[in-house]
Amino acid sequence: MLATPAITLHDVHKRYGATHAVRGVSLQVEQGGVCGFLGPNGAGKSTTIRMIMSIILPDEGRIEVLGATALDAKDRIGYLPEERGLYRKMRVAEFLRFMAQLKGLDRTTADQRIGSWLERLELPGVSRKRCMELSKGMQQKVQLIASLVNEPALLILDEPFSGLDPVNARVLTREIRGLRERGTTILFSTHQMRTAEDLCDRVVLIHRGEKVLDESLASIHRRFDPRAVLAEPMSDPVQAGRAIAAMPGVATCAWSDEARALHIRLTENADARDAMQRMLQATPLRRVELRRTTLDEVFVRLVGGDESVLAAQEAAGD
Amino acid sequence: MRRIGTVAWREFRHTALTKAFIIGAVVLPLVMFAVIPLVPMLTKSTPKPLTGRVVVIDPQGGVAAAFETALLSKDAAPRDREDPFGGTVDVQVKVERIADAGRETELRKEVGDGALAALMVVARDDKGEKAEVLVPSASSPKHTRRLESAAREAVVRARVAGAGENYDRLRELMRSERVDTSRISPKGDAARESTELRMLVPAGFMFLLWIAVFTSANYLLTSTIEEKSNRVMEVLLSAVSPMELLCGKLVGQAAVSTVMLAMYGGVALSGLGAVAMLDVVPPSHIVWLVVWFPIAYFMVAAIMASIGSAVSDLREAQSLVGPAMLALMVPLMLWLPIVENPNGALAVAFSFIPPASPFVNVLRLTAANEPVPMLQSILAVLVGIASVAALLWAGARIFRVGVLMQGKTPTPRELLRWIWMR
Repeated sequence: MLATPAITLHDVHKRYGATHAVRGVSLQVEQGGVCGFLGPNGAGKSTTIRMIMSIILPDEGRIEVLGATALDAKDRIGYLPEERGLYRKMRVAEFLRFMAQLKGLDRTTADQRIGSWLERLELPGVSRKRCMELSKGMQQKVQLIASLVNEPALLILDEPFSGLDPVNARVLTREIRGLRERGTTILFSTHQMRTAEDLCDRVVLIHRGEKVLDESLASIHRRFDPRAVLAEPMSDPVQAGRAIAAMPGVATCAWSDEARALHIRLTENADARDAMQRMLQATPLRRVELRRTTLDEVFVRLVGGDESVLAAQEAAGD
Repeated sequence: MRRIGTVAWREFRHTALTKAFIIGAVVLPLVMFAVIPLVPMLTKSTPKPLTGRVVVIDPQGGVAAAFETALLSKDAAPRDREDPFGGTVDVQVKVERIADAGRETELRKEVGDGALAALMVVARDDKGEKAEVLVPSASSPKHTRRLESAAREAVVRARVAGAGENYDRLRELMRSERVDTSRISPKGDAARESTELRMLVPAGFMFLLWIAVFTSANYLLTSTIEEKSNRVMEVLLSAVSPMELLCGKLVGQAAVSTVMLAMYGGVALSGLGAVAMLDVVPPSHIVWLVVWFPIAYFMVAAIMASIGSAVSDLREAQSLVGPAMLALMVPLMLWLPIVENPNGALAVAFSFIPPASPFVNVLRLTAANEPVPMLQSILAVLVGIASVAALLWAGARIFRVGVLMQGKTPTPRELLRWIWMR
């Protein structure tokens, strides 16, 4: 028997006056794994997440979360909104207990989990402090605990890395990985493509209210087949470059100071593996590697500023 | 229900179990209750005696002797002897009459220097005698009042004597008599009438209701604004629905309001009980207050919660609270005519117009100059309940949209549009 999807969106629309914020988005997120919800500013990510959380209602379409409406499943969902806030005068433990009790936990269980999470997120001794006494990073951790204290089956994080210093970002990454291993479904939106690439099993890209990409990371790497190869010659780079440029299937070959290697772009029909073998035979190379397409490049390619220019570049094999 | 209960408890705990609330709503009434009976006792004092020389310039004679009699008499005019802060002035002065009006300037200087306790200058015109009293600048008000009183009496005595009448006899005849009025109930029970109390009791009930309702509705407004400005609203909405949040907040503040009503009402009743005046508050008054309290609270709270959800800070709230406050001030402005005529057209009309209706009805029902028809009261309650339902429904719709809105303050027209927004 197939498990109930964690999130199902079917042809969801949301309008704010004349603005069509979300345009017929359909999506199914299976249970388990990490799904990145990407898109430029104003793409409709937060609106979609708010609809998934039943904070706002869609104008059209159907949304199911853990087999029910989000209102019915709220106790099994953890949510860290983009706009984070705390009751400034409340003490940390009191605030977290309040949130835990809203999620259906009894006081004893809540206190145990709060203590455990404060320790895990390296926040010792803050439970008696008022929220306003904490630094911004500490406040963000407290908010994260509020979303995790009910041990949710589905965790939705809206821009969780925004404003975090590298140390705290690493702590958060560690926790997201840990939660994934324990079977929690995680949907998170971010602008940081490298983070998404590190953490996500799957990526959904939304642009101008429409879904433009919905694939596993592996599939994205396959689909956006790399056309670039990096080769570090053992001998004279100019001579090696000439030899490679003359090979069939090579569109351009130029020295990259940044990579300290020859940057080779293949033609559309060339087989990358064959081309790399031929390069090794043609000239002695210290290393030759297929340059993986980054999510950043996919993002820019799909939603980048001037799409007509990008399309023209693609057509030219650039 | 669990979520509503949790939100309600937080709302109550962070409003009513704070130092500011405990001091303002619990300690202060108790202190007032303890202190009010002590005020007359604490302020009562024995005034200093009036001593020294008092000179009367009385060229014709006749007034000075009467002045001396009136001033030294223990039986001075009762009105002058009654002082809310107590104490009769003991007069130990020597009164001297001089006929030479030319010494006035010299004697005035003596008054200014404090050598004379007072100077009285008697003059005569075609209407009879008249007097001027001069006292040193440091003279006690009690002494001044006593001197003025004696001077008035002396002048009148002189006029009466000039007319050939007997002042003491006339005074006895003109003495004002106390008249006691009692109200007889349909059952034949008599109760002492007190006009002042009959006006003040309805006002007391209305103010009690007003303060209890407005204090907690104001807390609701500020706590909602705080949740929006602290950006904690969306965190809350991840755990509860907007409706559950609103209900929890309303219930929590209803408990706060009930505590206030019970505290202030209890202190007022205890105060009346302490001075044996509980009969001015029949049980029916309390029953009507209990009936109208939840209607008043939920009406005002629904308005305040929707305003709080629509704005981002208190300053923005003022532009929307203003019109609502205007409607709610109506009973405060009209309490006198309503109490005077509780079944008049004005009172009846406002009994059915929310949000003033609960306060107007409490005024009418506790005024009791004439009984309010029961059918009218029941109808007003039903209209009040229907108004609460409508205001809560509209308030919840505005709240649901408003809590996530940031930026410019909505106009009243936009608020109306939010009601119908999906």
